[in-house]
Amino acid sequence: MANKVYTFKIAGPAGLGIKSIGQLFSKILIAHGFNLADYSEYPSLVRGGHNTYQISFSLDKVFAPHYQINAFFAINPGHWQQHQSEFNSKTLIFSDEENPESGRMEKGIFYNLPLKTLANEIGSPLVVNTISLGVAVYLLGFDLNLTKEIVCGFYQKFSDLNSRAIQAGYDYAQTNFPKCKLDLKTKINPKTDQQLYEGNESYGWGFLAGGGNFYAAYPMTPATGALHFLAAKQEAFPNIKVIHAEDEVGVANMGAGAAFAGARAAVGTSGGGFALMNEAVSYCGVAEIGLVYYLVSRPGPATGLPTWTAQGDLMHAIYSGHGEFPKVVMAPGDIDESFEMGYQSLNLAAKLQTPIIVVSDKFLGESSASTNNLSKIKVKIETGDIETKPSQNYARYKFTPNGISPLTIPGTPNGQFLANSYEHDELGFSTEDAQVSQKMFDKRMAKNKLAIKLAPKANLFGNNTAKTLIISWGSTKGPILEALKDLPNKDDFAFLQIKTLWPINPDIKNIINGFSNTVVIENNGTGQLVTLLKSQFDFNPTKIHLRNDGRPFFPEEIIKLLK
Amino acid sequence: MTNNFRSNITPTWCPGCQNYLVYAALQKNFADLKINVDNLIMNYDIGCAGNMADFFKTYGAHTLHGRSIAMAMGEKIVNPNLTVCVIGGDGGIYGEGLNHLVAAARANINIKVFVSNNFLYSLTTGQTSPTTPKGAHTKSTPTGNINEPIHPVELLKTVNQEIFVESVDVKDIPKLNNTIKRALEFSGFALVDITQECVAFGKQLK
Ligand SMILES: Cc1ncc(C[n+]2csc(CCOP(=O)(O)OP(=O)(O)O)c2C)c(N)n1
Ligand code: SF4
Ligand SMILES: [Mg+2]
Repeated sequence: MANKVYTFKIAGPAGLGIKSIGQLFSKILIAHGFNLADYSEYPSLVRGGHNTYQISFSLDKVFAPHYQINAFFAINPGHWQQHQSEFNSKTLIFSDEENPESGRMEKGIFYNLPLKTLANEIGSPLVVNTISLGVAVYLLGFDLNLTKEIVCGFYQKFSDLNSRAIQAGYDYAQTNFPKCKLDLKTKINPKTDQQLYEGNESYGWGFLAGGGNFYAAYPMTPATGALHFLAAKQEAFPNIKVIHAEDEVGVANMGAGAAFAGARAAVGTSGGGFALMNEAVSYCGVAEIGLVYYLVSRPGPATGLPTWTAQGDLMHAIYSGHGEFPKVVMAPGDIDESFEMGYQSLNLAAKLQTPIIVVSDKFLGESSASTNNLSKIKVKIETGDIETKPSQNYARYKFTPNGISPLTIPGTPNGQFLANSYEHDELGFSTEDAQVSQKMFDKRMAKNKLAIKLAPKANLFGNNTAKTLIISWGSTKGPILEALKDLPNKDDFAFLQIKTLWPINPDIKNIINGFSNTVVIENNGTGQLVTLLKSQFDFNPTKIHLRNDGRPFFPEEIIKLLK
Repeated sequence: MTNNFRSNITPTWCPGCQNYLVYAALQKNFADLKINVDNLIMNYDIGCAGNMADFFKTYGAHTLHGRSIAMAMGEKIVNPNLTVCVIGGDGGIYGEGLNHLVAAARANINIKVFVSNNFLYSLTTGQTSPTTPKGAHTKSTPTGNINEPIHPVELLKTVNQEIFVESVDVKDIPKLNNTIKRALEFSGFALVDITQECVAFGKQLK
């Protein structure tokens, strides 16, 4: 029998450590043998407002956070109100108010948790989050000593204060909420190899594993996590250079310079910044510079919803850069694939000598999940066709059948060439000759064929004889797989996760044509994957389910849509 | 091995274009300073000045308009052993790419920027540029330029006192050579503003 998934959620104003307490809770869960997936919501401001953090955990793998909450903690009075649709009759709601206005509470069981009073007894109003955690730890029957050890490691300077806060919450719950204790029906079995990563961090670990040594960015939510992560890694990895440049145009062109000078380079941004990078994408296309663009989407247009999620930049990525040139667009579906694409993108950039775009989004980039220790994974580093001893008549852009011409790195004797933004001949010098122009264009475009061969293949979950094929890409993978766990008629479904969105592998058509019913699920407003597939072959999905309100799909919602 | 850094391509500038002087002076100074051609990257902006790209045979990047400095910074950060130069016009360096110029000056990154400042956008047939004098009649300002011109040396000195920034008249050959030499020898960011007259479109400014 599958193990139950529990979902806890904490909410309150920004600045009260909602996210950090959530991450601490995650560490405690991992230490007690749980797998988890989390999700946080926060407005684009630094103090006040309403922040939430929720976490779904189980002894089985959890692919995505659930919508329905088992235990809810409001660290300020009233912060539960807008979440009532997430409650059911058994939801435990803890809040610092004696009697929530009668009639307002529609579902769930309310408990008064006097956070302010308890915090004052401890001597700091800031520990309301940690006291709530103490209650959660009691509810789950967790080991208090192990918990305190983790809390102390996490808070270091304030470990005594937070240790007392945990104890206070735990004691209060033991005295007042003994009936709320959850019966997990499982033997706790600590395993220590699991670690918690945000998508942006796991991408960063993949970049490092893949020998990435130059990363430039201009802060933009939700891609900034990768910049922070890699900037902080410069001490431990002295060979990497992480640059916060003057603007995204500078970032992209600096990245091109770095890659041209021999670096395994990537640049990171969200949709608006990527718009500014477009001209440089085109330059890397024509000059055959292998640069990786890590594009973490948020809802547009323009500044849009900065701290929310969407898959609205698929076409933007595919059609990025003026003119026609080969590129690869790929999208990780979860934390592990963020890691994989972190290094695969660098390998592809080196081998294909062209722009490689990794499309993630806020939901994946800023949510955490538990997985193996990524810092220990060794991967294959592929450097592509590098010419170290060029002959006197070396030609950087030599016409070759597969479009790949051996590349020299500045500093190599006899390897001089011009990385030209104008159309050029085999040496890189400008040309306006009709024949050479056509031939050079064709040479570059030949790389698309190789790209199809080398880029990540689609994942097909479930069996080929299922009635219906679900088709999606990117971060919707988690909610879809989580939904398929609980769907009563799950054997009726197979799921195709398209990992490489450009160029489209012809196998995808064959897979899709093997099913008579197809359902596309996308976290955007117009169904960009549908548009893309229609441009490739005769495709008429039976149903299209879209969500474009800044929120991700939750598994419960997908179950409803598929039933 | 001797190498004069030149490609086999005959320059395509107008007869009498003063970029020939810049081209010659750069070659002379690279040779005098025994710069290893394998360790030299030249970055070219888009414009008449940037068209020098085809006339050199070194590692080079004919970048996007305005982006030559950003490209150069990426190269230098990755491999500080390389000599990294930028050739561009007043339009690309002081206009389209001004943010990159200021960033490079703030960082005092050891790249060498040579600006053919002809007070015009010449490749695009003579529109006003950031250095065009106020009041000048150009193709894009037929009733007179309403903007104050940028003074690059003064501007950059307020950004960072530590950098090398000088202006020189292209026709003063000894001074041009000497300034380029000192810029190349300087151990930090250097910009040489080389003022000149575009023989094709410069008459507008008179
Ligand atoms: C993004 C972009 N905008 C505009 C152009 C068109 N363009 C080419 S050169 C140039 C101006 C050149 O002026 P300057 O940099 O002073 O060089 P000059 O030709 O005077 O040497 C412009 C606007 C371009 N190539 N790219
Ligand atoms: S237009 Fe002016 S700057 Fe351009 S080549 Fe002719 S003279 Fe030189
Ligand atoms: Mg000019």
